[in-house]
Amino acid sequence: MSALVATRAPLGRQLRSELRWIVRRPRTVIGLASLCLVPILAGIGLWFAVDGDGPAGPGLAAIVAGNGLVLPVFTLFLALPLLLPLVGAIWAADGLAGEAQHGTLRGLMITPVGRLRLLGIKAFGVATMTLFAVTLIAFVGAITGVILFGGEGMLTLSGSTLSFGAALGRIVLTILLVTVQVWGVAAIAMAISACTEHPLVVMAATMAGVIVFAVLGIFSALDWLHPYLITSAWEGLSDVMRDPLPTEELWRSTALAGCYILIGLSLAAMRLATKDN
Amino acid sequence: MTTSTSARVEPVSTGSTPVFAARTRGLRKVYGRTVAVDRVDLDVPRGAVLGMLGPNGSGKTTTIRMLLGLVRPTEGEVELLGKALPDGVAQALPHVGALVEGPGFHPFLSGRENLRRVAAFEPLLASGDIKQAVEDALERVGLAAAAHRRYRGYSLGMKQRLGLASALLVKRKLIVLDEPTNGLDPAGTREVRKVIADLHEAGSTVVVSSHLLSEIEATCTHVAVLHRGTVVAQGELAELLHADSSSLLIVTPDVDDALNALRAGRISARPIEEGVRVELIGTTAPVVVQTLVNAGVEVHEARRHRTGLEDLFARLTEAEESEHNLSAVDTIEEGAR
Repeated sequence: MSALVATRAPLGRQLRSELRWIVRRPRTVIGLASLCLVPILAGIGLWFAVDGDGPAGPGLAAIVAGNGLVLPVFTLFLALPLLLPLVGAIWAADGLAGEAQHGTLRGLMITPVGRLRLLGIKAFGVATMTLFAVTLIAFVGAITGVILFGGEGMLTLSGSTLSFGAALGRIVLTILLVTVQVWGVAAIAMAISACTEHPLVVMAATMAGVIVFAVLGIFSALDWLHPYLITSAWEGLSDVMRDPLPTEELWRSTALAGCYILIGLSLAAMRLATKDN
Repeated sequence: MTTSTSARVEPVSTGSTPVFAARTRGLRKVYGRTVAVDRVDLDVPRGAVLGMLGPNGSGKTTTIRMLLGLVRPTEGEVELLGKALPDGVAQALPHVGALVEGPGFHPFLSGRENLRRVAAFEPLLASGDIKQAVEDALERVGLAAAAHRRYRGYSLGMKQRLGLASALLVKRKLIVLDEPTNGLDPAGTREVRKVIADLHEAGSTVVVSSHLLSEIEATCTHVAVLHRGTVVAQGELAELLHADSSSLLIVTPDVDDALNALRAGRISARPIEEGVRVELIGTTAPVVVQTLVNAGVEVHEARRHRTGLEDLFARLTEAEESEHNLSAVDTIEEGAR
């Protein structure tokens, strides 16, 4: 019997258990439901704006008119600076700090599960939920957009119109790009989460960091710093709406987020490996 | 380090099964400037029910956390089920069930859901057996009827039982229970005692901590007394309880007569403040009293000297801080070692 030599439970079972635990939290359900409201509210707001001023106004709002598939992209860019980092931070906070607060992290560790593996499971949970949240926003945004504005194709920032299929491709691309950015923030939140027993501290610190980074991004005197700020890279993501697709900026911002993920998870692993529980 | 070479962990295994379920040598843990645990040499014999006895803050929980690899010792060594920690943690811990520092569960999940979550991480549970294992554990601690209710609504006793249930999910070689009867009513306490007795009968080793001597006496075969972060006495419960019972205190005004009479009867005795103290070696209390009465010595009172463990524990728990008691503890400590 293999159970006699088993020192680890099957990974798939642990991952499923982690997701199940996250999804069963009332706050997860309420949070996801609220996220669905964001594209709906944005759509309704745009609909009124377009209705009032006519489609002549410049910018994204003008593009939206008659071109509903832009709404999911628009909503994701709207949510990226604050809302999505908050969502990632909440899950990261609950994952380690929240479990430590309830004494359940100790319970898992003595089953036992290796500390690195535990971090991996936690990171998987946060990553999956983030991807799901971003996808959900885009999905609800697309439905709302098509209902309110029609969805034959997608008018790009370059002036051309993409076919329905190509437009869906751009939406999926935006989902992936935005998700990776949120992962970057969430990984840093995981590092903080490994250091404390208070989920609120994790959320507050993460959001403060995002805001400080955004402010630092404003000052031109700090130009040399901007390439390293994850928040500064977010502006460049609007390239996804250009035709043909310029990939340089998108690759750069994704690589930067990758660095944040690596640094965040490494710090979390270092802390977790030596932590007293 | 102050540990002598003879006190180090040596391979004490006979064949493949270690004699001790857990051992520590020279264990020390320092938090900042606070020394939580110092020079703890604990031996947990296989199959024993070892009670860790000590007042709050004596280092019981810290020692347990180091035994389970949750906390890294500042100094010293831990051997768990024959495996040296921290490297052997993955091999040893699947066979160890534990309830540490109170039960830890998520308030928004039911008792059953909470247990399933822990069960999903148990290496020794096959995926198909999880449901049944959870139900069995709930049944065993008497929580089956409340299993569907949210943990948030549990009473302290129910929470404690759920913690116990998670330690019992798998058949364990070693079970560590930190203050398992905390918050339980007398019926709950009896049930926990029964669970411990059942585990003992089934051949598991149990480590149970408590600040109540009565609790330890009712359930344990072995005992380790902790005080101020160190083990001041350990051994078999019966041995420790009667370690000092071989002396009899006789209260009498006629000390000289008493001594003469006893010496004539070849009974060793020495004078003390209120009378004489008789070592009960090769004699018994009735013989001593009869010898004295026959010799016409007035015996006002004859009592056994308080047993070592009881005396020690009473001093530990009563009036902790007074200096008088501290010096008394030191004296007893020497006697008990």
